[in-house]
Amino acid sequence: MAEKFDNLEEHLEKFIENIRQLGIIVSDFQPSSQAVLNQKLNFMISGLQDIDKCQKQLNDINVPLEVFEYIDQGRNPQLYTKECLERALARNEQVKGKIDTMTKFKSLLISELSKVFPEEMAKYKEKRGEDGPS
Amino acid sequence: MTEMYSTLFGPNEAQGPPGSSSLGFGAGKPPPPIPQNQVSMPGQIPPQLVDEGPALRKSGVMNEHFYLLRELPVGNELTGNTNLITHYNLEHAYNKFCGKKVKEKLSNFLPELPGMIDCPGTQDGSSLRSLIDKPPVCGNSFSPLTGASLTGFRLHTGPLPEQYRLMHIQPPKKKSKHKHKHHRPQDPLPQETPSDSDPKKKKKKRDDDPDRKKKKKDKKKKKNRHSPDHPGLAGSQPSSNSLR
Repeated sequence: MAEKFDNLEEHLEKFIENIRQLGIIVSDFQPSSQAVLNQKLNFMISGLQDIDKCQKQLNDINVPLEVFEYIDQGRNPQLYTKECLERALARNEQVKGKIDTMTKFKSLLISELSKVFPEEMAKYKEKRGEDGPS
Repeated sequence: MTEMYSTLFGPNEAQGPPGSSSLGFGAGKPPPPIPQNQVSMPGQIPPQLVDEGPALRKSGVMNEHFYLLRELPVGNELTGNTNLITHYNLEHAYNKFCGKKVKEKLSNFLPELPGMIDCPGTQDGSSLRSLIDKPPVCGNSFSPLTGASLTGFRLHTGPLPEQYRLMHIQPPKKKSKHKHKHHRPQDPLPQETPSDSDPKKKKKKRDDDPDRKKKKKDKKKKKNRHSPDHPGLAGSQPSSNSLR
């Protein structure tokens, strides 16, 4: 799994470095730099070819669209992961709280109903015996 | 809808609404009247009603004494009752991202990337969203440039105009921490770690403040004594004593 990403990462790093060098050449162009510029342009094309080949290995990878929003805003995409985990934990705790409250309510209801309707609740408990009504 | 209703809430005889048959929930047969001396128990059906419509009832839903009784959910079902982060072995990721402060900027995530990457992508049209919304029109293959096509890339000599030099502008890096480190050896407590030393240093400053004030005041006094505008010793002496 990690090899796929390593391969893509390596190609992307090479591509970015090539673009950076291209930028430097272009920023103060000299006539003698034309051959190097041509070479760098063809490196760029071969770099794109390499990156394009990587997509076959990464077809099964899904990226949430919200991550793109973080990157577009110049924010660290790890913040998205952090917020997702925090949100998941908060919702998990909320649901657990509800389940615990409902469980307490159920046991309280059964005990109170047993006081008012002892016969019916005895039958109910008999029916629910194996499930454990309280 | 009717079937669902009857499945969830039992046959309409048990509910006993006066106009249930006209509403389309029943078979048209009016329910027998419930004797007034018989107390209707919630959750229990009178025995004469129980046997009337067994064909409509499902075995798991109905039984002799109760209606509305459904099977309990299976115990091993994954719900919010379990810690899902632990269940999916995400503790490491949680501790990694939520245990410490994650830096806000994109350049902290990609420190080696050249250029100003912390600016919003919408400003210069480099957003990833625009790639999805408006995918670039291009062919399926990348072919290398031949000699003829490379002639289009012959550039003029000389530097680029100012507005196109953004490639080499790097985001300003915080050098304050390094400065602190350089100044550390001169500090009175050089062996301390940066995080520990700062508050102590502040505290020490606060502790020293009265002494410093005294020294400053003494200096001022001395100056004032020598200055021609000095009103006299009598006025300043009690105030210095009161401070002590």
